Amino acid sequence: MIAKWLGKRLIMGTLVLIIVSFLSFFILQAAPGNPATAYYGGNAQTLTAAEQERIEKAFGLDKPIIYQYGTWLHEAVQGNLGYSAKEGRPVLTILLERLPNTLQLVGITLFIVALTSIWLGLYAGLNEGTLLDRGLSIFSVASSAVPPFWIGIVLIIVFSVQLGWLPSSGMNDIRGDGGLIDRMRHLVLPVIVLVVSHTGIFARFLQDCVKVENSSYYVQVARANGVAHREIRSAILRNSIIPYLNYVGVTIPSFFGGSIVVESLFGWSGLGQLLVKSVMVKDFPVLMGGILIIGVVVILCLFIIDIIMIVLNPKLKRGAWQ
Amino acid sequence: MRKQRKISIFWLVILCIIFTVTIFSSFLAPYEPNAMNMNHTYEAPTPTHILGTDQLGRDVLSRLLVGGQVTLLIAIVSVVISSLIGILYGGISGYFGGAVDAVMMRILEALLTIPSLVIVLAFQAILQGNVWSMALIMGATGWFVTARIVRSEFIRLKESEFVQMAIMFRTPIWKIFVGHLLRNIYPAIFIVILFNFAGAIFTEVSLSFLGIGVPPATPSWGTMLNSAQNNLLIGAWWIGLFPGILIFVTILCVQMIGGAFKQGGERSHA
Repeated sequence: MIAKWLGKRLIMGTLVLIIVSFLSFFILQAAPGNPATAYYGGNAQTLTAAEQERIEKAFGLDKPIIYQYGTWLHEAVQGNLGYSAKEGRPVLTILLERLPNTLQLVGITLFIVALTSIWLGLYAGLNEGTLLDRGLSIFSVASSAVPPFWIGIVLIIVFSVQLGWLPSSGMNDIRGDGGLIDRMRHLVLPVIVLVVSHTGIFARFLQDCVKVENSSYYVQVARANGVAHREIRSAILRNSIIPYLNYVGVTIPSFFGGSIVVESLFGWSGLGQLLVKSVMVKDFPVLMGGILIIGVVVILCLFIIDIIMIVLNPKLKRGAWQ
Repeated sequence: MRKQRKISIFWLVILCIIFTVTIFSSFLAPYEPNAMNMNHTYEAPTPTHILGTDQLGRDVLSRLLVGGQVTLLIAIVSVVISSLIGILYGGISGYFGGAVDAVMMRILEALLTIPSLVIVLAFQAILQGNVWSMALIMGATGWFVTARIVRSEFIRLKESEFVQMAIMFRTPIWKIFVGHLLRNIYPAIFIVILFNFAGAIFTEVSLSFLGIGVPPATPSWGTMLNSAQNNLLIGAWWIGLFPGILIFVTILCVQMIGGAFKQGGERSHA
């Protein structure tokens, strides 16, 4: 059963990748300028018609678009994503340099967001009408109405400029010799921004689930029979965590979207910053590759969430889900 | 219940004020929003410039008012486009069902896994935006959630007797679409549209902040924040603070109204 389910997920993932690859290929096609003239660079005026035809033939540009897409996909699958138009280095190399940085940022953020939002959501949901309950509702609405970069700017002003406690940008201290502590110090502000702008909505979602479970019959019966609070709490949590994880999965893409803005603000050299840069300097091969790799990462994240869900949900394990 | 309604009316009034002021901003703005005055750069709020001036000596209040026009216009146009596409896509998928629905939904699920900001970025790179292309791109990429909700509502309603009756009488499909189905799901659509609207403001502001949205010379709430970082560092807090507050209040209004609607809907279903 699980095999069937995972198979379905795999097909879904492949489909997503095809759509993403189509999108990124389309970008290169629609990009302004003629590849042959671009190849000639500054000497484009001296390009003769015959020469242009020769270049187009050499690069397969005279073939139908769908054939070009096939060739491109064939190369892309093998890890050849072309060369950066600005740096001349292979796109894959550039992307792989950046990927760990983004994963660091998003990974740590996700971890903290999951911990805080589950804790807050559970206790706020269980204690309806208390200060925590109402406070969380207000916080979630307020935090989702502030642009994340705005929080970032304020944090930079307070902690970097006024107090001088934390660095405002970059990933390492250029003067120092790097190291873990230094990296952590640079991570604090970007992580806080992402955590503040996501924890509210996540906790709110879990809070609503917990409230529904809390008023359901099985909980009332358990209460009436004097089952320990701790056990009831864990039952409620286990039943609310599945829709919560589903919700996390739906929001994962927006996490990477949010990291684009935050990385650019804090000079964090990850994929998001790379994408923004490549849009600015019109480095289309890098842009294409970046979109493709973000697609791959999102799919992998969703896959991991699926596996966690299987582990947590006995129904899925037994295959009774259909 | 009554208190709830009062609160949502309060937010509605504020939103209306923001809209009215931005619509008539050309008349209300005390200065020409792009007029530079190098003798009066970085002026803190004074009676002549109520919200101060920016690095080029432009009046912050005037730019804020006119900038609201650009930001809200982009948001409205993009939401109109995305709603039309979303209703059509979700409607077709939900109404016809079967294989059509399966294929359309798989594609939609695939699209939903790509960060929408990334898609907008990609298109922005090709079209190198002005205000209209920006609205167009955001509209063309913002319809996914709308489509999903319209589809599920259509599926829910399609089985009901009055729709089955209409189908039996060979009512033209578009009439069933608009008159029977759409008309009955407008609260759900309205809520999605509100949240899309808030999302559109976010996207515009974020992209313009990064310098790849609205052209920097055009005043919008996003472009005003573009240089806010540098301005704040030299202590000119008023340049970035007021656009930030206005964005916050606008999105808060939209979300509160949407939330009130949602609660009202849930109650009437129960």
